[in-house]
Amino acid sequence: MMELRLKPKVSGLTIPLEAEVISPDVIAGKTLREVEELRVYHGNRAETLGEYFEVEGEVAPNPEEQLIVVDGDVPWVKYIGAGMTAGRVVVRGDAGMHLGSKMAGGEIVVEGSVGDWAGAEMAGGFIRIRGDAGDLLGAAYRGSPEGMRGGCIYVEGSAGYETGTGMRRGLIVIGGDAAPFTGAHMNGGVIFIFGRAAKRLGAQMRGNGSLIICLGEVEELLPTFVYDTTYTPTFMRIYLKTLSEKLGIKRAEEYIGRAFRRYRGDRAVGGDGEILIVERG
Amino acid sequence: MMRVNGVEVEDTFAEAFRMWGCRVIITAKNQKWADTAAMEMTGFATSVIMCDCEAGIERQLSEDETPDGRPGTAVIVFAHSKKTLIEPLVRRIGQCVLTCPTTAVYNGIPEEEADAMLDIGRRLRFFGDGYQVKMRLGDGWLRRRRFWRIPVMEGEFLIEEMLGAKKGVGGGNFIIMGVDEDSTLEAAERAVEAIHRVPGVITPFPGGLCRSGSKVGSRYPFLRASTNTPFCPAIRHTYPESQVHEGVNSIIEVVINGLDEASVRRAMAEGIRAAVEVEGVKRISAVNFGGKLGKYQIYLRDCLGGEVG
Repeated sequence: MMELRLKPKVSGLTIPLEAEVISPDVIAGKTLREVEELRVYHGNRAETLGEYFEVEGEVAPNPEEQLIVVDGDVPWVKYIGAGMTAGRVVVRGDAGMHLGSKMAGGEIVVEGSVGDWAGAEMAGGFIRIRGDAGDLLGAAYRGSPEGMRGGCIYVEGSAGYETGTGMRRGLIVIGGDAAPFTGAHMNGGVIFIFGRAAKRLGAQMRGNGSLIICLGEVEELLPTFVYDTTYTPTFMRIYLKTLSEKLGIKRAEEYIGRAFRRYRGDRAVGGDGEILIVERG
Repeated sequence: MMRVNGVEVEDTFAEAFRMWGCRVIITAKNQKWADTAAMEMTGFATSVIMCDCEAGIERQLSEDETPDGRPGTAVIVFAHSKKTLIEPLVRRIGQCVLTCPTTAVYNGIPEEEADAMLDIGRRLRFFGDGYQVKMRLGDGWLRRRRFWRIPVMEGEFLIEEMLGAKKGVGGGNFIIMGVDEDSTLEAAERAVEAIHRVPGVITPFPGGLCRSGSKVGSRYPFLRASTNTPFCPAIRHTYPESQVHEGVNSIIEVVINGLDEASVRRAMAEGIRAAVEVEGVKRISAVNFGGKLGKYQIYLRDCLGGEVG
């Protein structure tokens, strides 16, 4: 891949910068000069990317071959990789809100933490967050019927409120703890939680294969989830092997062959999604 | 006429046919149950002359080779066409694998290698009576795969939605002619053992062997296949066109179906080479219909690569 480096010229902006142009789809095929002149918004002012970043490296002819490295902490930059369809973005630090929102392909790696709405309504591709994620990870935007529709988000740390709200397809893996309302309004898709799952898990979850798998402690389950059985489902092996082999989560293998308690709900809305909780001991 | 290890190999060919094949991976809690399901599924599937398909066990699979990390058994099922392959698969998986404790079923031919994907799992899901659950994997980031989780009394049956099928070859064969039953059977057993080291092939007859090869038609109008009279030693001097040579008293046919012609050729060669090692084997030949029926004419000399000696 051809690497383009964006080195932040400023730090700690209180008014965030909206920079959906930091995307292989936008940058590929341009000259370095054209990249510097790409439009970003600082508050209500239209400015250029070059005012906030030093631009160096190579620009690829097409998005598939484009690697963009944001070389530093940019929690004040929103919409990095938003809507991207191919290529790779690496953020060597923290990133702001809406990272990878509505993306359809390619890969984003954030070496720090991300703000709210990361991967919101994404349809494809892969986001790896080595730190923590804010609220509404992979969620549906307000007023939208569906959240994440495909792809995979792996947060190595913890995730905030309403992760996967309105999720329809795809996979979210939370290596740490999950805040309340994880998987609320889910209607498809799979969420793995390795750490502690907080209250209101799967609230108003519908059906269509919605599945939340809890490998750690569960703070409290809604009474509208009905216990069915304790068993060792074969399909869990497929998921756990995928986590180990494709995402490098070797500790997933520890759960292969373990028994799970199966709950169905949310019966409050006639839903038949599933929450599977690993049996202790 | 060529000789391999001193045994005469006739300059003839095996006449084989275009068939569609589907490889099914069965896994279970242990090898015993994977094999049990595989054996049930491949029962009464020797020849499409009277069976709905031809099926056999390809090989056992280690835990590293299966999608769910459990022991497995690979089965290949053949039929005349893509269409006629679907029903035997649905019936056999439904009656022999779904019913077998702890089993799961996965596709054994990846989509990029298959000529068609058959919706076997999608058809079998109805057994769940509305309580089946669709399992999705890889949407938008890996190869997209679909499975069905069907609730059963024992727990849950998992089957991949689509199974890959491809145009293969059925009816590859050779016949072993020996001085007596013991040496002919031993040679045939060794041949089958060697054949099963070749990937992508099965030997659908009992233990891989057919002691009653057939010819097309009979003197009875209601019977479309009958005993292969030219190769029956017991009527060598009764049947006027007998092809049984002096000193030959037992003949066994080895039939091979494969997912491609190259695999069938290789399997035939491996089988013949193993068979001629046995003392008492007098001659190797093959069954054909004068080249009038089958798409493939697999010459023994070509399989063996001209190996003589």
